[in-house]
Amino acid sequence: MTPEQESSAGDMEIVGAEVERGPDQMIVTQDVKKWFGGFHALKGISMTVRRGEVVVVMGPSGSGKSTLIRCVNRLERHDAGRIVVDGIELTDDIRNIERVRSEIGMVFQSFNLFPHLTVLDNVTLAPRNVRRWPKAKAEEKAMALLERVGIPEQAGKYPALLSGGQQQRVAIARALAMEPKIMLFDEPTSALDPEMIKEVLEVMEELARSGMTMIVVTHEVGFAKHAAHRVAFLDEGNLVEEAPPDTFFSNPQSDRTKLFLSQILI
Amino acid sequence: MAQDRAIRTELEGTVVIDEGLAVEVAPRKEPATPAEWVRENLFSSWFSTVLTVVLAAVIGYVGFGLIRWVFVAAEWQVFKANLRVYMIGRFPLEEAWRVWASVYLVSILAGLSWGVSRARLAWTRRKTALRAVLGALFLAALTYLIEGVTVWILLLGVAVACAAGFAAGRRTGRGALRWLAVAWLLAFPAVILLLRAFGGVPPQLWGGFMLNVILAVVAIFVSFPIGVLLALGRRSNLPVISAFCVGFIELVRGVPLFTLIILGFNILPLLLPPGMQLAVIVRMMIVFTLFSSAYVAEIVRGGLQGVHQGQYEAARAVGLSTTRMMGLIILPQALRNTIPAMISHFISLFKDTSLLTALAILEMLRAARRAAGQLQHLGSTKEALLAAAVIFWIVAFSMSRWSQRLERRLGVGER
Amino acid sequence: MAETATARKARPPLLRDVRFLRVLGQAAFVVALVLVLREIFLNLQFGLERQGLDLEFEFLRQRAGFGIKEGISYNPNQSYIRAIQVGIVNTIRAAGVGIVLASVLGLVMGVARLSPNWLVRKLAQVYVEIFRNTPLAVQIFFWYFGVVLLLPAIEGGVSLWDVGFISNRGAAIPWPRSREGAGTWLLFLLAGILAAWVVRRWRTRVSDRTGRPHHRFLWAAGTFLAFGVFGYVVAGTPIGVDIPEATGRGYEGGFELSPEFAALLIGLVVYTGAFIAEIIRGSILAVEKGQKEAAEALGMAPRQQLRFVVLPQAMRIAIPPLNSQYLNLTKNSSLAVLIAYPDLLFVSRTIANQAGRATQVLLIAMGTYLTLSLIISFFMNLINRAVTRKGARR
Repeated sequence: MTPEQESSAGDMEIVGAEVERGPDQMIVTQDVKKWFGGFHALKGISMTVRRGEVVVVMGPSGSGKSTLIRCVNRLERHDAGRIVVDGIELTDDIRNIERVRSEIGMVFQSFNLFPHLTVLDNVTLAPRNVRRWPKAKAEEKAMALLERVGIPEQAGKYPALLSGGQQQRVAIARALAMEPKIMLFDEPTSALDPEMIKEVLEVMEELARSGMTMIVVTHEVGFAKHAAHRVAFLDEGNLVEEAPPDTFFSNPQSDRTKLFLSQILI
Repeated sequence: MAQDRAIRTELEGTVVIDEGLAVEVAPRKEPATPAEWVRENLFSSWFSTVLTVVLAAVIGYVGFGLIRWVFVAAEWQVFKANLRVYMIGRFPLEEAWRVWASVYLVSILAGLSWGVSRARLAWTRRKTALRAVLGALFLAALTYLIEGVTVWILLLGVAVACAAGFAAGRRTGRGALRWLAVAWLLAFPAVILLLRAFGGVPPQLWGGFMLNVILAVVAIFVSFPIGVLLALGRRSNLPVISAFCVGFIELVRGVPLFTLIILGFNILPLLLPPGMQLAVIVRMMIVFTLFSSAYVAEIVRGGLQGVHQGQYEAARAVGLSTTRMMGLIILPQALRNTIPAMISHFISLFKDTSLLTALAILEMLRAARRAAGQLQHLGSTKEALLAAAVIFWIVAFSMSRWSQRLERRLGVGER
Repeated sequence: MAETATARKARPPLLRDVRFLRVLGQAAFVVALVLVLREIFLNLQFGLERQGLDLEFEFLRQRAGFGIKEGISYNPNQSYIRAIQVGIVNTIRAAGVGIVLASVLGLVMGVARLSPNWLVRKLAQVYVEIFRNTPLAVQIFFWYFGVVLLLPAIEGGVSLWDVGFISNRGAAIPWPRSREGAGTWLLFLLAGILAAWVVRRWRTRVSDRTGRPHHRFLWAAGTFLAFGVFGYVVAGTPIGVDIPEATGRGYEGGFELSPEFAALLIGLVVYTGAFIAEIIRGSILAVEKGQKEAAEALGMAPRQQLRFVVLPQAMRIAIPPLNSQYLNLTKNSSLAVLIAYPDLLFVSRTIANQAGRATQVLLIAMGTYLTLSLIISFFMNLINRAVTRKGARR
């Protein structure tokens, strides 16, 4: 974690203080439930992510893994249970929602870059409009980030002119520009051509090494083995198994996990 | 719900109709010689041959009759004598400079925009010939219509102003585009002020072509923000707001404009606080604005539907508030896609202003009917109406061409 | 994480609760709206009172006292209600006939715009560009004052072999008239439709089984025709022909077309036809080129490609914009006011001028147009559903 990020912790109001919370618990979910109409997407997920921890979430499609991380930055409203992010509980409180969102960076499967803005403007947009940084500072930071993800030369281009891998790296830079404490990745490599997956994973691994707290929904076993501290396995809205990558891949406990691993590893 | 679907595809429909596609499907191979072209396009089968022969005969007969009528038989005097009424209605002659000043303002801006946009005309041989013929016809018509030397000089000035704007626009960079947009926005109230303020002419005396244009422009300008709000409201997840917007939009779109005009004419005065009075033309501006805002709302909604859901999520994920998300991310993308539909809407609005002929408002169609009713021009009804039709047509047709070109240019590129 | 089972969300203070704020905002909106509407309503009441008017609908039962030139039977001694009914029927007549004719014209012109023949293509394009880009009001005036009324007077009118007439008083053509036995014949026709349907299914099944061409349309049409002819003979020539005659001021008998109706109809059809032509053309072009190529690759003849691959998909694209054109045509029929064709709006205006109750009359007119719009949308929706049901992607 960069020193800047440390300092931007600021004067967070602690709403969910009564939740037991160690100093390094970044995300705590307790019995989180979510319905989509009649479909029960999350059936009570409880898990804790500590500061600097990298958690990979795996599971078959429809298992609720995307829904879980979308609840964490409130793209979806959870129907029951509690979610506490860095001491702020996600409720219907209008103040907390935007505050939490600017603490969390998110990277989407389909990049979702803003097509009408240049790469540089994509990255500086939120710092300038939400953090109210002056233009020069925002651009300096943005260029540093583009340097970090390896594409400073594309700053003036429009997203449509970039390859998928480059777009996803811009998306990572855009999320990092808000100096988040947590990064969420929703299948960041699923929409990429095979030869571009590597360049994105490298950026993510570098980020993991730097001490960022991350939740990554992915099927990339290699990334999980290299970078994750823990792998969580979701199935049908339940948290089935949680273990360090070595244990998870070599000695899965539940049958469903075994079945799943036998399918993706081949 | 029925109308929901209708609109969505109606909008898609406008995108579908594209000149570029026609080229793809119509016979594609470039024929080598004129003879080959003729064979392919006129005599490709016996059926085609019969069609060609019959149509050529009909076109020859009708065309000859038409040309003879236009140049020999028709009495264009009715238009010539009433030219000023067609253009500005009862606008007092001694104040006509206000109109000219507005025309100059607009032509300079138009020239500038043209220059800055770097739009180039395609100068193929056929198009050049066509333009030469049209230009000659136009000049001939002007020569026939206009007698005063002053008017000629003023018209020449308009051309010069336009050309000067064009030259200046060429020289500046594309960065001037933003300033131009602001200038256009300011030009609109400026023209109204020019006509009205400082001892100017009250709206009751505005008329003719000028009035048709002003009404359509006022309506589209004022209805634009209202329409955007209605569209956002309709898509909002607040049930009360959304229901209100749907109700308003569908009500306005479900009844003829004519009933709204009558509403504005007969009933609106009763709805105002006692003692408050609005001129008929102002009331009609209100009616056209409300009418237009419902249609603008549907166009904008179509544009909003074209913006990917991921854009909303990404905007929220980086922490933008709803207002900023709409203003910085969603609307810029949505509105850009609606430009062609917006121009078509403006064209139909412009055509619709002719409905005011039913009230005692001297817009261009009424001017034409009045001219046709004059004793000395009895029997020239066709000519009087055709003159108005041609002016309407020139504006509407050139705008629709412009919109097609824009559409093709917007279609390429992002996404 | 020990208390998982009892985990409940903390409640934020009321004034910061998103859900509460949503309710509050909407409530404020409703209150504001009600206040504005109340103000407007009070103004209206006050204004009407000053003019000695009210918002009652009782006056509709009074004697109308004005004549209406055409439409269903009516005389000035009947009530305003009856007059409005006449207007509604006239509106439906103009809109209904207009929709059918405009569709035909638009279909022809739309296909013509894609013709391999250059002359046909250009002619259709000129038609579209001219009529799409001039106001309908101008066109209707032109047809009325510039064409229909300039036709020769009734004495010197065009006579089509003495059975049809065209003059500035309108046109009249022979029209079938039912005689005794028409009911019997109608029964035969209905039976014919049923039989044709059965035959069509039978042919389809035969074709499915044997693979031979079914010619089911020919078979069905033949069956229907046989029933019709047989029934006609049995019922004893149930349909006669009503031949119009020129009287001093107009025509009597046959199917009459007043100059006003003719001008309105021509205007609506020609104007809307231009828009429909563009829809047809755009829809055919919108069916991806790949679809045509796939059909070609399967060895389909050009006509089969059109019939089985392109047209069904084009239909699906065309229906929603066609719906809005039909709605436009119906609404545009109100331009009848300009040339005094007694449609709903013209009658309403006459009543408003005479009885002074513009508010009520206009409300009725607007409500009727809204209803008509809904009915058209409903039917187009049915068609749309029938067409899109097969393999809809979205």
